[in-house]
Amino acid sequence: MTAALAPVRARLGGWLSGLGAIGVKELRGRMRGRRAFVVLTVYLIFLGGYAWMTQLTQLAQYENQYAGQAAFASAAIGRGIFGALVLLETLLVVVLVPAFTAGAISMEREKQTLDMLATTPLPSLAIVVGKLLSALVYVFILVLASIPLSALVFVFGGVAPDDVLRAYVVLLATAFGLGSMALFFSALVRRTQAATIMSYVFVLVVTLGSSFIFDFWTAVGGSAGVLRPDGTFDRRSGPPEALVYLNPYFAQADVLCAVENGFGTYCDDISKVTNRSPFGGVPVPVGPGFDPAFRGGVVVNDWDKIVALDIGGAPRDVIVGPQPDQLASVRDRLWPQSVAAWLVASVFFILGSVQLVSPTRRWRPRVPGILRRPARRSTP
Amino acid sequence: MSTIVRTEGLVKRYNGTLAVAGVDLDVAEGEIFGLVGPNGAGKTTTLRILATLLAPTAGDAEIAGVSVRRNPAAARRVIGFMPDVFGVYDDMKVWEYLDFFGRCYGLPPARRRRVIADLLELVDLGPKRDAYVQALSRGMQQRLCLAHALVHDPAVLLLDEPASGLDPRARIELRELLRELRRLGKTILISSHILPELEEICTSVAIIDRGRVLAAGRIADIEGRLRVGAVLRARVLGDADAIEAARAHFAAEADVASAATLDDGTIEIGFRGDDAGAAALLSRAVTAGIALTSFARAASDLEELFLQVTGADEIAAGGLVA
Repeated sequence: MTAALAPVRARLGGWLSGLGAIGVKELRGRMRGRRAFVVLTVYLIFLGGYAWMTQLTQLAQYENQYAGQAAFASAAIGRGIFGALVLLETLLVVVLVPAFTAGAISMEREKQTLDMLATTPLPSLAIVVGKLLSALVYVFILVLASIPLSALVFVFGGVAPDDVLRAYVVLLATAFGLGSMALFFSALVRRTQAATIMSYVFVLVVTLGSSFIFDFWTAVGGSAGVLRPDGTFDRRSGPPEALVYLNPYFAQADVLCAVENGFGTYCDDISKVTNRSPFGGVPVPVGPGFDPAFRGGVVVNDWDKIVALDIGGAPRDVIVGPQPDQLASVRDRLWPQSVAAWLVASVFFILGSVQLVSPTRRWRPRVPGILRRPARRSTP
Repeated sequence: MSTIVRTEGLVKRYNGTLAVAGVDLDVAEGEIFGLVGPNGAGKTTTLRILATLLAPTAGDAEIAGVSVRRNPAAARRVIGFMPDVFGVYDDMKVWEYLDFFGRCYGLPPARRRRVIADLLELVDLGPKRDAYVQALSRGMQQRLCLAHALVHDPAVLLLDEPASGLDPRARIELRELLRELRRLGKTILISSHILPELEEICTSVAIIDRGRVLAAGRIADIEGRLRVGAVLRARVLGDADAIEAARAHFAAEADVASAATLDDGTIEIGFRGDDAGAAALLSRAVTAGIALTSFARAASDLEELFLQVTGADEIAAGGLVA
C-alpha cells in the first residue's frame, strides 16, 4: 500500500519544494530591507488611530441616546468600531491585492525570466500557487496584524469572537479570490500595466458595478415579488442573490448584520438582498384580510402591513397580513455563499493561469490587439 | 560515441509560417555542436523545442533517450538552457539566484550550498557572491546565467546566442568556459550567427537556413562532402616580379580555381582540393623554388562553407539549377 503511494508522495514532495522555491525567492525580495516593516508599523498606527477616532464619534453619538445605560452604550460603541475596522480592512484588501498580484507573471515575462523558470522541472501549478501565496503573504500579514486591534472591541462588548472570525474568513477568501483573479490577468496579457488595469476593472465591476445593477434591477423589477392566488409567494422576481456573491461589501454587511441582531443599517442593506420577500424569506399563511377571489398581483410592503394589488377585475388592495417581526424571521445568510463563490472562482482562475503559464500548452487565447505587447523581436 | 540529442523531422509552424521545416539532427555525447544560420533560420525555435519551451507541430526530439514531446518534465532534468535574451531578478543576490534555481530542481540544502560554491568558482564569480545580480556587468550576468543552467548538473547544455552583446574579453572568457565544460563531459548545443565565434570551439556544426538543415557534421567532413575547397593565402619573399611568377605557378596547378594578387602582395588562391592536396601544393611550390614566407588557409572556413552552402541553396530555390 505504501509502495503504491510512493510516486504520489514523490510528486507531492516535488510540488511542495517547488512552492517553497518560489516562496523563498519572492519573500526574500519583498521582505528585504526596512520597507516592509516600516509599512506594517505605519499601517497599524493608522488603523489604531482610525479605531480610536471611531470610538470617539460613537461615544459622542451614544452618550445621549443611551443616557445612563453604560452597558448598552458600550456595546453600541464596540459594534461601531468593529464595523468601521472590518469595512476599512475590506477596502485595504480590495485595493492592495490586485496591486501585489497583477505583476506576478507578467513581470517575469517582461524581465524575460519566465523561460528560465519554465525549463526547470517546477510544475506550472507550483509556479502559479507559489506566486499567488507569496504575493498574498504580505497582505495576509497586514490583515492578521490587525487582529489584536480588532480584538479591542471585546473590551466594549457587543461583538462575539465568532463575529470577528467570520469577518476574517470573508476577508481572507476575498483576498485569495482577488489575488487569483489578478494573477490570471497577469498570465493572460503580457504587460503588467494592462493586467493591473484589467484587475481593477474587475474589482470595480464586482463591487460598485454589482451594487449598481442590483439596486437598478430592484428599483425596476419591483422589490416585493408576486403573490399567487393560492397565497404562495413568488420570490423569483427581482435580481438574483448570486449577483452580489462576489461583492465583499455585501458579505461583510451580512457579517455585521449578525452583530446588530437584525436591527441597524447593515441589516437594512443586506435584507434587500437576502430577505427580499416581505415575509423574511419564509412563506407565511396569508392574513384574515385575504380575499379568496384574489387573482394574484404585486405585493407591496406598506409600512406595518403587507398589501397585494389585485391585477384582475376591479383594482383593489388586499391586505395579506401584518409585517412579520424581523427578529422572529429566519435570516437568510449571504456570507457563506460569498466565501464559496470566491473559492470556486479562485479554482477557475488558478487553473486558467496554469494553462497560460505552461510553455507547451496546446491552445492560446486570442488577446485583443490593443492589449498585446508591441510585436516581439522575432527570433524563430 | 553515442548520440545524446536526436531530432527527427522536427516541424514548427507559427500561424501559418514554417519556422522549422523538418530538422534532423544527431549530436554525439561530448560534442560542442554549433547551429549556424542567418537570423530567422530556425535556430532559436529548434533550441526552444529542445528546451521544452515550445511543442513541435510535428516530429520529436530525444535528449538522453527522453522525448521532449511525451515527457517534457523528465527532459528538463537533463538539459540546462540559456535563452538568447534573459533577464535577472531585481532584489536578488548572486548566491540567492543560484540558490533559487537549486531549489527549483529540488536539490537538498547541503548539496545546494556545495553546488553554488563550485559553480561560482567555475564561472569566476566567487568574489561577487553577495553582490546584487542587477549590479553585475553584462558578461558577468551571462556567466551567472550559464551557471544557473548547470545547477542540476545536466548532461546537455542548450545555449542560444551566448556571446551576443559581449565584449571581446568576455567572449574569450566564455569560450574558455565552454571548453572547460566540455572537459567536464557536457554536451553543448550552441547557436550563433557569428561564425568565427563558433568555428573556434565547435566540434561539429549544422548549417540551418529557412528551417532546414543544409549540412551537418564535422566542419572538415562537410567541406569534403561538398567539395567546396578553401581559400589559401601565400606570401612570397621578393619584388613584384617574383610575386607575379609565383602567382603564375599557382594558377597553373591542377586543383587551383583562381589565383590573384591582392594589394598588399598576398596571393589568394581558390583551392578545390583537400588538406593533403594543399600540402602537396605547398611542397611543389617549394620545390619550384618559390620563397614562401607564409602559406595558410584564409579567413574563416566556416564562413566560406556557410556562404557556399546557403548560396547553393539560394540558387536551387531560385530554380537556376535543375
